[in-house]
Amino acid sequence: MNTTKANISKQQEGADDVKSLKGTLVSTGIVGAVIVIMWVAVFWLYMTRL
Amino acid sequence: MHKFEEIWLTLSAGILIIFMVVVGYQTFALGMGPPSEKETIDPQKVDQIAPFNDPGVKKIGENEYEVVMTLQAFGFNPGNIEVPAGAKVNFTMTSKDVTHGFQIAETNVNAMVMPGHIQKISHTFDKPGNYLILCNEYCGTGHQMMSTTITVK
Repeated sequence: MNTTKANISKQQEGADDVKSLKGTLVSTGIVGAVIVIMWVAVFWLYMTRL
Repeated sequence: MHKFEEIWLTLSAGILIIFMVVVGYQTFALGMGPPSEKETIDPQKVDQIAPFNDPGVKKIGENEYEVVMTLQAFGFNPGNIEVPAGAKVNFTMTSKDVTHGFQIAETNVNAMVMPGHIQKISHTFDKPGNYLILCNEYCGTGHQMMSTTITVK
């Protein structure tokens, strides 16, 4: 009985981890998008001024 | 490793590699690297050493020009240059005193001109107009007045 409870709580912890990483994934994606947009903008500016 | 970690690590590494490949290809295959001439010159004898003993605009080919220029607080010699549209202009420059900048607004021309070093940079002026040349390295109290133009007709 105790073992089952322990398993359930471990699963819940796992589920919480996934939930918490979603925010991290989104934040990382936003930072990545900003970096890519800035890089592409500078690249475009350079190419148009050749 | 968590699945999300795999996703962002793969994407980050991939983007980094793409950036480096693009920049590397431009620099080494297309010759778009920053100006990096390695010639040196005695900064106290600039006026006596060719080609700087005769600064000016010289036609060196069909619609190709060489501009031999000396930079000095607070001006460019020669200034107010005129070239025809479509001309490729090769700038050969050195400084007679302190470090100056050579930037042509609205183009990719941007070079540091240091005393004791010869700097070279080229640009093809396709669009006619009046281009502003600026010193973008602080060179003294009159730095803000150090500018000239290049007219493309």
